[in-house]
Amino acid sequence: MPSGPSKSAETIVGILTPPACREEVLGDLHERYRSPLQYGLDALGAVPLVILSRIRRTADPQVLVMQAFALYLSFLTAARFQDASLLQAQWGLLRLAIPAGITLFGLVLEDAYAVPGRRSPLRLVRGPIIGLGLALLSQGMLRSRNPQILLPGWVLFYGCAMSLLLSSAIRLLFPPITHGLLGVNAPAFWLKRGGSGIGETAQTCIQAIIIAAIVARAMMAAMSSGISPVTVRVAVIALVFGLVAYQLGKRT
Amino acid sequence: MATSDSLGQFEQLVLTAILTLRDDAYGVTIHSKVEELARPKPASLGAVYVTLDRLEDKGFVTSWLSDPTAERGGRAKRCYRLEALGERVLQESALTARRIWDSIAEVWGKDWAREWGKRWGKEAS
Repeated sequence: MPSGPSKSAETIVGILTPPACREEVLGDLHERYRSPLQYGLDALGAVPLVILSRIRRTADPQVLVMQAFALYLSFLTAARFQDASLLQAQWGLLRLAIPAGITLFGLVLEDAYAVPGRRSPLRLVRGPIIGLGLALLSQGMLRSRNPQILLPGWVLFYGCAMSLLLSSAIRLLFPPITHGLLGVNAPAFWLKRGGSGIGETAQTCIQAIIIAAIVARAMMAAMSSGISPVTVRVAVIALVFGLVAYQLGKRT
Repeated sequence: MATSDSLGQFEQLVLTAILTLRDDAYGVTIHSKVEELARPKPASLGAVYVTLDRLEDKGFVTSWLSDPTAERGGRAKRCYRLEALGERVLQESALTARRIWDSIAEVWGKDWAREWGKRWGKEAS
């Protein structure tokens, strides 16, 4: 009589499975256990589809398009002000899309692996931070393997800062669907609808207007030659930290 | 064109499995039943999970976590129940399948239909 899968195998499968469906998937795989090979094949067949299904449930295509646009715009703007020659260079625009795409991938994964029902003060900034962390990691890997498609350091820095600001603002306006409680006895479709508010309150609208105004002002200021690049850098960094501090303070 | 109320073939199989399993419908049992219904085609456990999520999003089924059991390593089951909307679309699908069967039998004759009926009866027993 097979006793059950090894602890290490279950731990690996548990880490790979999104927390929202970890309990039932691990239980089902445990119940079906016959041999280590059969367990491995079962997990290999089930877990990728479970992840994809979870991504389908947590990702909102419209918000994703907005995020993609904001992320690419951030790196594009950073390139425009820090190294305009990048925009004319061969594959220049595509090089800007690499960190943006990886950040978006990180955002999607963070939502899929979020623990449903757990309200963390870091919730809104954690996704962009993870995404940007992955983007920086990928740039680090490119440095050794493919340096010709690497972004210049300052472009990457400003792009990341701007991305963090805009991405957090979008998540503030369109909260991730994972806020809804799963596992309660109601169709997930209703929970999904309930979780994705589109800035219903006046407070949220005011916050959005303030953030948009600050970003627009910063971009206009940078365009005019009157302000030194150092001032713009300080302003962008201050904005990012201000937003992070505000969100942390609001949610604790 | 497919609407949110229409069912794919695999969705029909999963809904039928939930209907027949009643209170014992969860991942492992649903997968076994679907494999039984779909034979000789294989059905993966992952495909069952994806379909269950989709059916839940469409409001055809609801789910809840049961108490943990020792045979599952102390983990809970996610049990599924058919909702009224799910029952309605399953009935519509069954009616469509029936009409397809009748139309084929009308063209290929009653002997053919009887022979296939016998073959299915043997398979079921």
